This record gives sequence, structure tokens and C-alpha cells, in this order.
Amino acid sequence: MKTKILLLIITLPLLLIAQNKIDPSHQNQALKCNMCHSCEIPTKEKLCLKPCPRDKMVTIEQTPGESPNVITIDHLRSQTDLYKPVKFSHRVHAEMSGFGSGCKMCHHYNPPGKVIGCSDCHEASRKRTDISKPDLKGAYHQQCMNCHRQWSGKVECESCHALNNSKQASVAVQEKAKQGNIVHPKIAAPEIVKYDTPKANGKIATFNHNDHTKTFGLDCENCHTDQSCNKCHAKNKQASLSSRTVADKHAVCDNCHNVKTNCSMCHSNSVKPGFSHVARTGFDILKNHSKLTCNRCHTTKAKFSGLKADCSLCHGTWTKENFKHAVTGLQLDEIHSDLDCTECHQEKNFAKPTCKNCHEDKVYPKDKPGKMIKK
Amino acid sequence: MAKHSRRDFLKTSALIGSATLGLSSTAKAAPENVLSEDRMGVLVDTTVCIGCRKCEWACKSAHDLPTASIETYDDRSVFSNVRRPDDKALTVVNEYQSITSDKLPINVKVQCMHCDHPACVSACIVGAFSKKENGSVVWDTDKCIGCRYCMVACPFQIPAFEFEKALKPDIKKCDFCINRTASGKIPACTEICPVEAITYGRREDLIRTAKEKIKNYPHRYINRIFGEYEVGGTSWLYLSSKEFEQLDFPKLGKDPAPGVSEAIQHGIFSYFVPPVALYALLGGIMWINKNKKHNETDTEN
Amino acid sequence: MENMKPTPQERKYFTPIVIGLSVLALNGIIFLLGRFVFGIGSVTNLDNQHPWGIWIGIDVAAGVALAAGGFTTAALGHIMHKDQYHAIIRPALLTATLGYTFVAASVMIDLGRYYFIWHPLLMWNGSSVLFEVGICVMIYLTVLYIEFLPIVTERFIGKVNLPGFLKKFNQPVDKFLRILDRGLEKTMFVFIIAGVVLSCLHQSSLGTLMVIAGPKMHPLWQTPILPLLFLLSAITVGLPMVIMESVITSKSFGLKPETHILSNLSNIVAPLLGVYLAFKIGDMMIRKTFVYLYEVNAASVMFTLELLIGIIIPLRLFMSRQVAKSPVAMATASFLVILGVLMNRINNFLIAYNPPYAVKSYFPSIGEISVTIGFVALEILLFRFFVINFPIVSEPDTTAPHTKFSLRGTTK
Repeated sequence: MKTKILLLIITLPLLLIAQNKIDPSHQNQALKCNMCHSCEIPTKEKLCLKPCPRDKMVTIEQTPGESPNVITIDHLRSQTDLYKPVKFSHRVHAEMSGFGSGCKMCHHYNPPGKVIGCSDCHEASRKRTDISKPDLKGAYHQQCMNCHRQWSGKVECESCHALNNSKQASVAVQEKAKQGNIVHPKIAAPEIVKYDTPKANGKIATFNHNDHTKTFGLDCENCHTDQSCNKCHAKNKQASLSSRTVADKHAVCDNCHNVKTNCSMCHSNSVKPGFSHVARTGFDILKNHSKLTCNRCHTTKAKFSGLKADCSLCHGTWTKENFKHAVTGLQLDEIHSDLDCTECHQEKNFAKPTCKNCHEDKVYPKDKPGKMIKK
Repeated sequence: MAKHSRRDFLKTSALIGSATLGLSSTAKAAPENVLSEDRMGVLVDTTVCIGCRKCEWACKSAHDLPTASIETYDDRSVFSNVRRPDDKALTVVNEYQSITSDKLPINVKVQCMHCDHPACVSACIVGAFSKKENGSVVWDTDKCIGCRYCMVACPFQIPAFEFEKALKPDIKKCDFCINRTASGKIPACTEICPVEAITYGRREDLIRTAKEKIKNYPHRYINRIFGEYEVGGTSWLYLSSKEFEQLDFPKLGKDPAPGVSEAIQHGIFSYFVPPVALYALLGGIMWINKNKKHNETDTEN
Repeated sequence: MENMKPTPQERKYFTPIVIGLSVLALNGIIFLLGRFVFGIGSVTNLDNQHPWGIWIGIDVAAGVALAAGGFTTAALGHIMHKDQYHAIIRPALLTATLGYTFVAASVMIDLGRYYFIWHPLLMWNGSSVLFEVGICVMIYLTVLYIEFLPIVTERFIGKVNLPGFLKKFNQPVDKFLRILDRGLEKTMFVFIIAGVVLSCLHQSSLGTLMVIAGPKMHPLWQTPILPLLFLLSAITVGLPMVIMESVITSKSFGLKPETHILSNLSNIVAPLLGVYLAFKIGDMMIRKTFVYLYEVNAASVMFTLELLIGIIIPLRLFMSRQVAKSPVAMATASFLVILGVLMNRINNFLIAYNPPYAVKSYFPSIGEISVTIGFVALEILLFRFFVINFPIVSEPDTTAPHTKFSLRGTTK
């Protein structure tokens, strides 16, 4: 027991010292040590870093516009090179990475601080003792070829490098990128997608793309996660689509909708109409709430029931003093503007005003307590 | 039985050598054919290989084999046939379709695997093959008699013979760039590979790296390193996204290829006891029969 | 029992058959020249997938097995001391000597670097089965030549007649032969036992040769007891080979076949065949390889044929009393055993060998077949030459009952 205490006494300060010496940039992060380090107490001499935790440790807050336009990759230049260095059109690629998982597609390891490039981690010499990560040449080429051979199928050196004995400084496409002439064309989003399925009851699965992007306000990458160039640039696109399994096809929807119990949400014998809040709930959000995202009201994620049509839940209590009726498009006349809200609006959703409290013979909306104005 | 293979053989040959001839070339070469802990190897990650075939060019250039210019290696039509290394190309890259067609084709580089317990070393009649300290299995032109037993023995069918040569035909196979590594360089194919799909390093480190890769990317790799255990382990190791047997790798067990035959061999020749015993036995029978005959003729007379 | 004495069979050498054989031999030699000028690839169908063809499978492997008559008769006649068989020892010895000479020649022509054939003498690899086979065959060939020497000395002692100016050496050569003869007589038993031991070793090791090919070899043949099966089959085929060769020689030279000796020999063949069959079937049962016989392919058909033609049918024949009475029937049964062993060796080295990356299967080229046939023809021609010129074949002796040279080396 004594020895254990002694050990503890000795190791504790060491531990504390070690803890104190953590790089300041690390402290800003809510990181667990063992995410990157394989040993208990990493030291400067013995970092014991795990292989790059792709996706987990990326802190680049730069937009493609802020990034360098063209980078000449010449870290490995030597006399005997067969090829000239590549002029890498960084900005174009940064923009394109937006279709996929962003900067981390290439900058797969970037601790807080500056944006680091391949040569900061990958050794330039191929003959080395640490072979857990590729050398610099391998890292560059792996990064490029992973996508490039997917969508072009080409692996020739000349598609990126100019030959050393040619007059060309670089490959033509790189020159164009330098002038900023290359951008990825806008991707046209479909409004509605109709799938013919083999399902007996409900042959047609309707996917209303418009609803998801416009009405529900989802961003592309909410569904299109981790897209590779290959998704669109595959040589045999039809084959790649047909090779997806039933589970693959349902997986995207299953992120939000439970596909096991909600078949009829998409599957039907005819094309389903788009989402209509009023048809589903009776509350016409298009009237006054069209600009709100779903989660402004449906605060509990993925739970869309249980909201009462009670305006005061969000808006607080309206009184004749704090509510300018004109926003509804109806300018109350003088007599009516002095009345309490409840005189006409007896329901909590302020939907159907009644005139019966004062007027026996008047009915809304035939008779109006003021004049309509433009909103 | 299989355990006392090489050591025993060395002992035996030393014994025979000193007993009869006084010297034996194999006994002298003892430090060879012993596995070093620091032996080198190469990890081939077939999921990284792009099939650019630059390794084929580099190999031929490094071994003074006739080759076309490097640009001609962009020709991918060669992949329509499965090719094998031969006397004119010590390594070749083949292409296989992936399981799902939207994925990329799988390219597999083929060359000598440099076994830890090589069948060729065990089989060669004159000991022209040897496993060097750095892991390479190399062939000695000064010894070879061209019997081609190495080709029969090799579980990977790698050694190739120059059938067209009438004089001094060679056995050709990857020599792990023994001349380059001796002068501190790394093998030509591992140097030129643009994507470093072939990583040169200590075999132990390579296995560790490979296991880490499998652990980190379980969807990318099948959980197996070809060459870790096959025929007792090989210096060249492979990672793949598809079962190796579907990529034309031979289906092999974990026992070293020369195990059974060496066991039989050493059983028959354990310190020459069985042959000498048989000799004594036959001599005894002969002597008894002779005496019997003698007695018979004596009594007849 | 009448006394038999080996005498040269003085006949005209050339007969129509001999001329035919000469043509075949010449044809083989022409293709052989092609191999030496243009390389192995130009004459054979060998490639990197099929490194060994019929030159190894038939000429060497089957050649060694079929020359087993030499050591089986030596064991029977000298070691077991069955004097009745002495009449057949010399023809068997000649067959073996010629057989092994051609085995060596076949190895030589098959070697890519034939001029380095002596390398194994200096460069040793104790773990190599081929090294063991090579060294054993080399030593055994020497032993065979030594065993054959007394026949040469017997032929020439007192008859040395060198031509021209060499005449003056007649006396010393004669003296040398006599010394040699005496020396051999005293030490011959050493060589005879050595011959049997060496034969046992390399006959079995020839089987071990293919064990290293592992999964490349069809499971019907790939077994750890391959060396035992090779040894058993070699012992079994030795006597049928002698029977065959004796019957044909008698026929060819118009002598009376030694029916008595031969039927005694054939009585030994049946139990040997039985043992061989038992091991072969037992091995198949233990390793459960009979499942491969259910599918019809080259391997299963060849295995069945080998078993049926080579072992089961001749076993039945040799067990019959009628067969033992007729030299022709014995020769037929013997021929089946020989065919069986020949098939076994071809199966082991060629049919069972399935290279993993072969795009085409191996079939011998005309060149390979020509050379193999040429060698066999040459062997028969040489056999005839020796039978005519040397005391090989025994005839009933009407003169002296016991000549000095009738029983060689062992009867002192």
C-alpha cells in the first residue's frame, strides 16, 4: 500500500506537469485525449498519435473564397524528375469539396490553428521508419487519384503533370483554373422525383425534393452526405444506381422518417402531392408563417404533433395595445380597435372572428370591421 | 517434425560435410536462411493501387531488362488478360472487377512473395536459392544447373525459366532489388509507385500498420493480411477489399511449403541412421544366407 | 538342375526391327540436336507453368522405376542367396545399367545448364529431395558400372586383342583386367548391398520429389506416403520387368524361355502387388480421397486406369496357376504391371500436377516424344549389342559345371 501511495505521489506531479504542458490550442477543444493519442500520457517526445482520425478532428473555418487559388506542388522537386510539378487549382477544388464533406475531404487532419498541408505531416523521404502513414509523394497522389480515377478512369501522369522536356509550364486545364475560369456548373435540383418500385401495394414512391429544400429548409449536405465526384461522374452511372440495395435506398429517408412504419408516406399507387401544412393539420402556415423553418415551432426534434393551435404559446399574450392588427391585412376601424381581442376572437388560434357579441346580423368575412389593406 | 527443418539440415550437412569431404558449401553459408527479426517486406494495399504499371517499368529498368518507354505503360488494354511474371517481366499488375460495379477495379501487383520458409530454397538441388537476412529470396547464377525444380516447388508459381536460351538460361524472378537495397536504396517498384500502394519497411511494422488500417477502415478491407501466415509467412503482404482467392491468389495453408517433404527427407536421413541400418541389415541377411548355403554345400559334400 | 552359363549370343546385329529402331533413335537424336542449338523451349512444349514434361515424367521417373529390376534381382539372388535366379541377374543388371545411363542422359538433356550437371557433387543442399535423388542416382550408376565390370573382364581376360601399334599393350591390359577382376571379386558384396540401399533411398525419394508441390498436386496422388508408394511400386515392377525382358530376349534370340525360373519369379510378384495395392487403397481410404473419383476428369480416369490395369488385373493374372505356366501369359501380366507403374509415374509428375495459373494444359511436343522414343530405341539397340558381344544371357552349360566367372563375387 505504501509503495502505491509513493508511486502516486511521484506520478501525480508528473501527470500535472504533463497536463499543464498541453498545447493551448488543444484546450479550446472539447476533445478526448484518446481520440488522437494511443497512450495515457503523451509527451512531446512520444506523441503516440493514432492514425489520422478523419472527420473527427477538423477545424478549418475558411471558405473556399478565402483559400489560395493555385498552389504549385513542388516539395518533392528533384533533378531527375520526369515531370514538372503540378499547379493545383486549390480554390476550384475547395469549392467542389462543398458537394462532399468539405475541407476535410483532403485536410483530413487539422488541429486547431493554421490550416496545414500534406507536407506538414507526411515525410518527404520514402525510406523511413514510420510507415504508418504514406510518404509525401504517396499522400499527394492518393489524395488526387482517389477522386480522379473514379470519375475519369484515367491514371496517366500527363493528365496532371506536364512532361519535363515540354515547353508547357503545366497542363492546360491548370492554366485555365489559374485565371479563375473554371467553376463547377450549378447542379440543377429536381422538384419532384418519382420512383417506380416493385412494391405491390404502392408502386410509386414519390419524393418531393422541393419540399425538403424549400419548405423544410434542408441544406444539400443534410441528405447528400459525403458525396464523391463519382456519384455523378461515374463512367457507368446506370449501373451504379441499379447496384444500390433496397436498404441503401431507404437509408437516406430513414435518417428522419421511420421507413419501417411509414410506408404510405412515400409509397402510393399514384404520385403523391407535396406537403401541405393546412391539409395535414388544418393550420395554414403559408398565410403568415411561410418564412419560418419547421423547428421554430416544432422544437422537439422529429416530433411534429402536440403543438396546440394556441398563438400565445409563441407570441405571448396579445392585447389591443401590443398588437397592431394592420399586420393581418385588416385595418380595424376606430370603434373596433378599442375592443379587447377576445370580443371578436374567442378561439385561441384567432382563426374565426365572431361578430355575434354585438351584431346579430353581421357575419365575417362578408362584413368586415374595417378595411382591407395591402400587407 | 517440420520444426527441425533448416537447423537440422545445416547440422546434418555439416556432419556429412566434415565426415566425407571435409568442407561443405552449405555449412559455410550458415548465416543465410535464418530469419532475421529485422527482415524487410512490402505491404501492397490493393485498395490504393491505381494500376498505373509504373512499377513494371521501374522493375525492368532496374534489372536491365528490355522495356518500352514509360509512356507506353499507360496502355490499360493489357488488363484484358490475366498476366503472370515471366523471364521478361519480373512483376506485372493485373486488374479485377470489384464486387459492385460502381466501385473501382482492383489492381493487384504480382511478383515473388519472398517466403519466410521458401519452397525454392528447400528444393533447389544445389542450394542456388537463399533467404537473405533482409528477407529477400535470391537466386545464385553461379550454382544453378537449370533443373527447374524450384518452379515445381514454388506455391506461387513464380520462378520463370528462359526456355528460349540454349546456353546459360537463367531462372528469373523478383530479387527484391538486392543490389539496390545493398547500396541503401529501396526496391525500384516501391520507389516509383506514385500512390505508395507498395510500402517498403520492416515486416513487423508492416503487419502492425496493416492491422491498424483494417481496424480503422473495416469497410474498406477484409479482415485478413495475405502473407501474414500463408505458407508460414511471406515478406510481401497484401491488403484487399475482396477475398484474395477471387484475385487469383492461391489457396494456401499456414504450414511452410517445404514442411512435409523436409520432414520426410529428414526422417529418411536422420543423421544417416536409417540408410546405415538398412545397409547393416542387408549385410547381415547376406552373411547368414551365405553361411547357410555354405553349410548346405558342406553337408552335401 | 542343369547348370547355366552366360555366353555371348553371336548373331547378326541388324534385323528389320533393329533397322526400324535405328531410324527412331536417329530421329530422336536430330530433335535432341535442336534442343542443344536452340534451347529447350524450341523443342518442347514446356513453359513457366509446366516446368517438367515427359523427359522427367517418363524418361527419368518411369525410367528409374523400370530399371528397378537391377536391385530387386540383386537382392533376391545375392542377398537372399537364391542361386536359381543367378541366370537372370545379368540381363537384369544390364537393363538397370542401361536404364540408369539413359536416366542420367535424360536428366542431362532436360537440364537448362547441362554442363553444370556436376554441381550437386560440390554444392550440397541437404534439405533438397532432388539433391538426394541426384546424388543417389550418381552413386548408384557408379555402383552399377562396378557391378557390370566383371562381365567386361570375363569377356576380355585372355582375349585382349588391341589393334595396330597398341598390340604391345595387350599383355599389361590383360594383367590389369585380372587384378581388377580379383579385387572386384573380393569387394563385390559391398557394392551389391550399397546398390540395394541406394535404390531403396532414391526410389522412395523420387516420390518425395512431388510432395513439395503441395496443393499444386491432385489429392488423389498427393500424400505424405508417396515415397513409400514409389518404393513399393518400384520393388513390384522390378521382377515383371525381368520377366518381360527375359521372354522377349528368348524370343528375339530364338532361345528356350526359362519358364521354370520365370514362374518362380511370378509367384513373388503377386504378394508384392497385393501389398502395393493395400497401401494405395488404404491411403485413399484414410485421406478420404475417393470422393475425387466420383467426378469424371483426367485425374479420376487416370487414377482408376492405373489401379485397374496396373495393379488389380495383373494381380489376378499372377495369382492364376495357368499364367505361371505360360511365358507369354506371364509376359502379358508383367507388361500390365509395367504399364501401371509407367502410368503411375506419368500421373504423379504430369497428370496430377495442376499449375495454378496455367492457361493451357501440357501435352508433349513431337520433339519431346521423338526424343523419348529415340532413347528407348537406343536402349534396346544397346541391349542387343551387349547381349551379342558380352556374356549376359545364360545358356545351359555343357562343358564345365562350375566356371570361375559364373557366380560373381558372392560365392566365395
